[in-house]
Amino acid sequence: MSWHVDAPVWDAYAAGRLDPAAELSLESHLTGCPDCRAAARSQVAPAAVDEVWSRVRLTISAPAHPLSQRAMRRLGVPADDVVVVSAADSFMVPWAVAVGFALVSACVVGLAGLGPANRDVVFLALVPLVPVLAVVASYDALDPLREVVAATPYSKLRLALLRATAALAVALPATMAIGFVVPDMEDLALAWLAPSLGLTLAALVLLTWFEAWVTGGLVTSAWVTVVALLRIGDQVDSLATPVVQVAFLVAAGGLSLALVLRTSTLRIQGGEL
Amino acid sequence: MTAIASFEGVSKKYGRAPALRPTTLDLQRGVVGLLGPNGAGKTTMLRLLSTALPPSTGRIVVAGFDVTASHANRVEARRRIGYCPQEVTFPRGMTAFDFLDYLGVLKEWKDSSRRHDEVQRVLDLVHLADRGAMKVSKLSGGQRRRLAIAQALIGSPDLLILDEPTTGLDPEQRASLRGLLSGLPGTVLISTHQTEDVSALCDRVLVIDAGAIRFDGTVPELLATAAGRVHLGPTPTSGAVQTWKTGTGLVRSVGGQPAPDSSVVDPSVEDAYLLLRSERHTPQGVNR
Repeated sequence: MSWHVDAPVWDAYAAGRLDPAAELSLESHLTGCPDCRAAARSQVAPAAVDEVWSRVRLTISAPAHPLSQRAMRRLGVPADDVVVVSAADSFMVPWAVAVGFALVSACVVGLAGLGPANRDVVFLALVPLVPVLAVVASYDALDPLREVVAATPYSKLRLALLRATAALAVALPATMAIGFVVPDMEDLALAWLAPSLGLTLAALVLLTWFEAWVTGGLVTSAWVTVVALLRIGDQVDSLATPVVQVAFLVAAGGLSLALVLRTSTLRIQGGEL
Repeated sequence: MTAIASFEGVSKKYGRAPALRPTTLDLQRGVVGLLGPNGAGKTTMLRLLSTALPPSTGRIVVAGFDVTASHANRVEARRRIGYCPQEVTFPRGMTAFDFLDYLGVLKEWKDSSRRHDEVQRVLDLVHLADRGAMKVSKLSGGQRRRLAIAQALIGSPDLLILDEPTTGLDPEQRASLRGLLSGLPGTVLISTHQTEDVSALCDRVLVIDAGAIRFDGTVPELLATAAGRVHLGPTPTSGAVQTWKTGTGLVRSVGGQPAPDSSVVDPSVEDAYLLLRSERHTPQGVNR
């Protein structure tokens, strides 16, 4: 090497006072000059180097947001909620339950060769339960980190609702599609929504007393029994009447109030809210 | 010294089976080791203290908050607790950084920039700084154990509760963890089967057996309970609790009547623990 970087140039470089051409020249020189590289180390305080490396490492390690997370952020979901929803296992289980049950329901209604009356019965018995199962599956019984999560201050109800919402965002369109895709089901395509809302809120309230699987069993068996009794009385169509639909919405309002009251003081299935 | 956590007549039953008998206890600053055989109630005690499990009876106070009194108190206490259970099943597909980021959110670190700094800090503490971008499934068993401990360190909790933290760690990693835990400013409660961890690390030792605290004292006090009761000689002592042939060819005997040609040796924490276990039918044992 015919030249080496002297102290004034180092000072100017460190302070960012060199012009771009001189800066480029110095950096090119450094790549081929071991003496100047060694000298460069003495120009910067070790703490500053550590800080830079820490930032570099953080940039490399910090999660690269996949498309689904970026989409949620664009839809206005807060960043920390996106992290919770994206925790892979906790999201996948309710998602799989909801979508799986929706598909099973579609297959039973559309492919089992049922007569029109029985098809309506099966549709109204199964489809409103899809959100219920998504919510039940969202509770911490299925969370591999249940014990760790239980000891954190984060609201377990909020955690479950976030997961359920994420599951329902996929499951609801799939479920609604059943009504529109399966022939002759158009008249009931939206009739299941109000009962489903009521049943889901009932499940949330029951989860403040019972474990997830008990809650799922109670709501499912109660709803199937109601539909079966209506079938025996030949009154299944009444579920789609405006009066009954409004009754479900009123019940849902009452259950929402009950849920708020219960969750302000109580716990969910052995773990705390 | 002010207690960071206390049990007042706390008990826990699973069905009719008692897992922890009524226990009263204060935990001050420092490292406390919880020793006991499998099924003794160690994990139950840690779960109760972590608020992951409600007690059947009694009152638990953490950082001045009675966690048995209200949900609001439990939330306040949880803001001051770091808990690492015996087994942590990691969600599939997450990187080490993602996992800690998720736990950071659950610990109410809302600002993502500050949270990421905190995640990097705890990764540094457990020597996984260069593993942040790796999938958890690709980490070794020891690295996963350190990652589980790292989540408990988020936010520098006043009360750190670690269930068998050294399981799966190699000797260097164990020594490193000891260095980390001994330098923490708050209260650390660890359950362990590794008696050498207790002697190397703990300011205080609790020995639990059949759901009851059998000993509560310092390491020297625990060792004193075995003074003069451990012998080395060519033959085992009569009625010893445990005997084994050492590398020198001599037999080490814990307890029992010494043979004439045996000599008394300094007891280890393990010797004292074995002797305590053998006396478990004595009411209250050597409780303080």
